[in-house]
Amino acid sequence: MHELTLVQGILDSVNESSSREDRRVARYTVGVGELAQFDVRLLRKLFRDLSKNTTLEGAKVSFVREKARLRCLGCERTMSFGDLSGQLSQQEKEMVHFLPELLNSCAKCPSCSRSYFEIDAGRSVRIVEIAFD
Amino acid sequence: MPSTRRSCSADFRKGMIEKRLRRVRSIILILSGKGGVGKSVISAALAEILAQAGLKVGLLDADVYGPSSALIFGVHDFPKEKANGLVPPSRSGVKLMSVDLFASGRPVPITGLATVQVLTEVLALTDWGELDYLLVDMPPSTGDIMMFLTSLEKRKTSALVVSMPDRLSTGVASRVLTLLRSERFRVIGILGNMVRKAPSLSEGASSLETLASASRAPLLGVLPFDEGAAAAVERGDIDGLVRTRFSAQLRRSVKRHIDQS
Repeated sequence: MHELTLVQGILDSVNESSSREDRRVARYTVGVGELAQFDVRLLRKLFRDLSKNTTLEGAKVSFVREKARLRCLGCERTMSFGDLSGQLSQQEKEMVHFLPELLNSCAKCPSCSRSYFEIDAGRSVRIVEIAFD
Repeated sequence: MPSTRRSCSADFRKGMIEKRLRRVRSIILILSGKGGVGKSVISAALAEILAQAGLKVGLLDADVYGPSSALIFGVHDFPKEKANGLVPPSRSGVKLMSVDLFASGRPVPITGLATVQVLTEVLALTDWGELDYLLVDMPPSTGDIMMFLTSLEKRKTSALVVSMPDRLSTGVASRVLTLLRSERFRVIGILGNMVRKAPSLSEGASSLETLASASRAPLLGVLPFDEGAAAAVERGDIDGLVRTRFSAQLRRSVKRHIDQS
């Protein structure tokens, strides 16, 4: 599961921020973009397990679900993932789960039928904010 | 001390890529600026030649719009998910990663900046392990992908520029070399490709020598147009490709570089 790799990457980055600031991390917020279709319960467990016995063990992690906002570069229509996800097979959803930009390889704009979207929000996981003691 | 909040705009994946690339000794970008000059075939053959020399080799197909490395190697497996990331499929000793392993032949109509997102994700997630060489089959153009990949790990990355002898190819290669120089990027040298037999061979070699001299980069070698190599690529036969006259000349051209490694 590549969620584990990404969670470790976030923890390393938060930890490096802590070292750079020379302050303990009290809490941090992770944005969870809708396109990557991650299970927040799984992410929560991974953050808990992977931060055990590290300097981030006591830090509180919270999650903000970020709705996907897509813009068709053909006709400028803005849309949600829900407007497109019905077009995708299970295999295509899996593709988008790994590489959200591949939505353009398998979905068409409901208005102009082009497959030329830009992702304005809700791509994948990201660090939103870190609070230090 | 009062608590402080910092909002984050930095991309945590950059740190992941740095860590991955620490385990790679040398990165070679194979580029030309122009399409159709044989970058992908040279990248594949070179990867296989290095692997046959006992080196640990990875090949990243960075041509998001027109990937072909997976076809040349005859690899179509979705990368396996393991605890340390995505494990690239391996063929004849070369680990291969390509967007096409995810897209499975579908077109990828995305913007230049979106290609950078895709390659950032692929580089952050791919567990190459220890590598002597990571070869990168670059797309045509001097656009976003080139600017992104030439900014990574500059100290261990160098460029191999491929050009055919015609003036359309050398003209674009010259611009690429100018850009690499202005970026203070290390250039191993130039490889001439698809040079036909005399009388055009001498003309071809001459135009490539002019390119090399004007750009102050060595001309490493001149590879022949080889129908045997073209046929091996058509068959997806990488083992056959490295047995051709084309690959023998490529091996001689890069020998000094391999011997120094």
